[in-house]
This record gives sequence, structure tokens and C-alpha cells, in this order.
Amino acid sequence: MVKVIGAILIILATSWIGFEASRHLSERPRQLRQLKSALQSLDAEIMYGHTPLHEAARRLSAQLSNPLASFFSSFSNRLTETETTVRDAWEDSLKEIWSKTALKQGEFEIMKQFGETLGRHDRISQQKQIMLALAHLEREVNDAHEKQAKYERMAKSFGFLSGLLIIILLI
Amino acid sequence: MGLEVDIIFKIAGVGIVVAFLHTILDQVGKKEYAQWVTLFGFIYILFMVASIVDNLFQKIKSVFLFQG
Repeated sequence: MVKVIGAILIILATSWIGFEASRHLSERPRQLRQLKSALQSLDAEIMYGHTPLHEAARRLSAQLSNPLASFFSSFSNRLTETETTVRDAWEDSLKEIWSKTALKQGEFEIMKQFGETLGRHDRISQQKQIMLALAHLEREVNDAHEKQAKYERMAKSFGFLSGLLIIILLI
Repeated sequence: MGLEVDIIFKIAGVGIVVAFLHTILDQVGKKEYAQWVTLFGFIYILFMVASIVDNLFQKIKSVFLFQG
């Protein structure tokens, strides 16, 4: 009886790990798309709305869903409430939010480099920088889709089967 | 005799699970990991069978050579 309960617990744990890994894989392209649309809205706010950066960030945080919403709202708060540069505020907000997202190091570097250009050029150059960041993100989206198609099902069945193997070895 | 049947089922279970793992890893394109998994499964079962055969030889020895 105890053996059966232990076996069920092992199966549940390893399957859960597998499902969590596959959820992480499917979450990444979704969040990347959200990031891209956020940058596009930022582009629109800067080009057509002439909105100040903290105001634009606040509007973006209202439009988006978590975790990106909290990124933009913390960025906006940093800009309005503390004495800091745009680059530092952007980078600190990125670091604060990054562990809550399913995104990887590559996207982090892209966003960091984009933050370094933010607010230092005129509108036309700023738009070019946004386009550059969008192009980089597009590449990452393709990569994320490829990884998802490849590994999503594997992660699920791998979790279940490894649990089964452990049980057979232990009985 | 009950023990022997148990071990046969165990070997079959390990074989099935390892075969599944091999196919999945193969589909994803991780051929080298697939081969390692199969190899380790094979070694594990080999050790199990070796211990059973060892038991058999001890028994034969004790029957025909009159040793304890």
C-alpha cells in the first residue's frame, strides 16, 4: 500500500516537472509577441503622440498584461520618482522582472541594448532603434517557435516516462 | 518461482520504458542521448541477469560438488 502511494507520488512529481517545462516552452513565444507589440505601441506613442517616456510607459503598462505590465509600470515609477537615467531605470526594471518571465538571455541583451539608446536621439533615430530591436526580437520569436515545436511534446512524455522508469527500478 | 516471474516483468517494464525514451529522443534529434539511455538500460538489465545466473551456478555447484 505504501509502495503504491510512493509510486503515485513519484509519477505525479515527474509528470508535473515535464508539464511545467513544456508550459515554459509555450510561454516564451507568447511573451515575445507581447514584447514586440509593446515596442510597436511605444513607437506609436513616440512618433505620433509625442508622449514623454514615463507617460508612454504608464500607458503601455495599462494596455499589456503581466509580467510586461509590471515591467513598464516599474520603469515609469523609477523615471518619475527617483533621480536616475533612463538607461539605469530601464536596466533595473528589466532585472527586477526578468526572473518572472519565460524569456532567455538573448532577449535580455536585446532589450538592454535597446534601453541604452532610449531617450538619447531624435524621433527618427529612435524609430530606427525600435525597428532594429523589433527585427532582433523577430529572430528570437522564430527561434522560440522552432524550440516549442521540437521540445514541447518531448518534455511532457519525458517527464512521465522517467517517472515510470524510476518506479520500475525502485520496486 | 514467484521471484523469477517478478524479475521477468521488471525486465520487460524497463525494456518498454527505455524503448519509448529512445524513440522520443530519436524523434527530437538527440541521437546520442537516446543511445546512452539504451546503453544504461541494457547494462542495468545485464547486471540483474548476471546475478540470477550466478545464483543458478551456485545452486548447481552445491548439488553436484556437494559444497555448502
